[in-house]
Amino acid sequence: MRYFLIALIAIGLTACATKDNKKVEQQTWKGKGFTYYPAGYLKPSNSGRGRRGDNYIYAPNIRFPLAYAPAYINSQVYGIGGQFGPRGSLCDQRNYKYPWRDNYCEKRTRGMPLCPAGVGHQGVDIRAKDCRDNTHYAVAVEEGVITYIGSYSVKLRGTSGRTYRYLHLNSHSIQVRRGQRVWRGQKIGRVSDNMGKTKTSIHLHFDIKQTIRFGNYSKSVYVPPYTSLVDAYKRLLRGRP
Amino acid sequence: MRLLLTTLFLLSSLNADSGILDIKWPKPNLQQQKPSTPYPTVLTKGIKNTKLPIYIPSSFAYDEKMVVVADKNFYTISFLLQGATVMVSGDRTFQQSISTSNSDFQKMMKPSPTIEFMEEEGMRSANFNRHGVNYELSIECDKPKEDARCKEEDFLRKLYSKLIMVGGRP
Repeated sequence: MRYFLIALIAIGLTACATKDNKKVEQQTWKGKGFTYYPAGYLKPSNSGRGRRGDNYIYAPNIRFPLAYAPAYINSQVYGIGGQFGPRGSLCDQRNYKYPWRDNYCEKRTRGMPLCPAGVGHQGVDIRAKDCRDNTHYAVAVEEGVITYIGSYSVKLRGTSGRTYRYLHLNSHSIQVRRGQRVWRGQKIGRVSDNMGKTKTSIHLHFDIKQTIRFGNYSKSVYVPPYTSLVDAYKRLLRGRP
Repeated sequence: MRLLLTTLFLLSSLNADSGILDIKWPKPNLQQQKPSTPYPTVLTKGIKNTKLPIYIPSSFAYDEKMVVVADKNFYTISFLLQGATVMVSGDRTFQQSISTSNSDFQKMMKPSPTIEFMEEEGMRSANFNRHGVNYELSIECDKPKEDARCKEEDFLRKLYSKLIMVGGRP
C-alpha cells in the first residue's frame, strides 16, 4: 500500500513537472472561474525572480484578508498604470481580472532572505473587487490581537504567533485599536491608497512575518503568502471562509 | 524536473512544528531593572507577565503615552512621535522548524550580523537576536519619502544604541 501511494505521488508530480517544462500553466479552480499562476512566476520577466517551486502553505487555514470575493492578486508596479507597467489607468479593467499572479519577491530594495535575489517585495499586493477607494473591507485573517497601528499600517498578531501586516488602509476607516483582541473575519479597515501623507495606488499590501528555527538559530522573516492566500481564497469562494 | 526536486525537497524539510525558543538570560542589571524613578505604570503593568527580556529605547522609557501589547511570549511597545511611530517588539515563539540539511535554507538562514537594518514598505527596521529572542525596532513616518528618520538609518541606529532592558522575568 505504502509503495503504491509513493508511486502514485511520483507519477502525479512527474506529470506536473512535465507540464511545467512546457510552459507555466494556469491553475484552474472549478466552480467560480478562479484561475491563478503557480507561486513564484512573476511577470514581466524583468520584474524580479520569484520563489518558484515553494508551494508550501506557510500560514495554513487563514481567512482571506478581504471580506468579499472577487479579489485580484497581481503587480501594482508592473501592472497597467503602474510605475513600470504599460501606460493606462490603474483602474483599467484588465487589472481586475483572473488569473492571479504572485508578486512576492518582485523587484524592490528591501532585504529579503527568502527571495532568490536576497531583496524583493515583502508581501503581495491585492486589488479588491473594483477600483473604488475606501469601500472594500480588509478583515482579520485569524483570531489575535492588534499590536500596532502606524501612519498607514496595521499589524495583527495571530494566536499562531504569526504577524500579519495590512498596508494602505484608509486611516479614518480603521475599526480596531492597539491592544484590541479581534476574531477571525472581523473588519479592520477599508482598502485605500494611504501611504501616510503621500499616496500609492488603491490596494492592500498584505504580508506575513514569522519566526523560523533553523537548528539552534532562529530568524523572523517575511514568508511567501501567495499559496496561503490561494488556499484561503478557495475557501472564501466555497462560502466557508 | 528541477521544479519537482525543489518542491519535494522543500516539503520534506519544512516542519510546521511551532514552539518556544530557549532564552539565555542576561545577568540582571539592577540599575536598569530598578531605576531611581519608577517606570510608568502602563509599562510595568503591561509587561508584568512577559517572560522574555524587555528592551526599549531609553529616551522613551518614561513616555506615559506608550502603548504596550504583551503576553507571556511576546511584546510590542509603540511610541507616537511628531509625524512618526516607533515600535519595538520581542518574540520568543517560532512557527516553523527547518532541518539543517536543507541547503536552500542554509544559504538564506545563515546567522545574520548582530543587527540588520532594513528598508521596508515605507518604513525602516532594525532586526536583531539577543539572548535567543528575535527583536524588531522600527519607525514608520507620515511622509516616508521626505522624513530623514525613515529615509536614512541614523535615527534608528541611535535608538538601537540606547536600548535598555526594562523588565521581563524568567
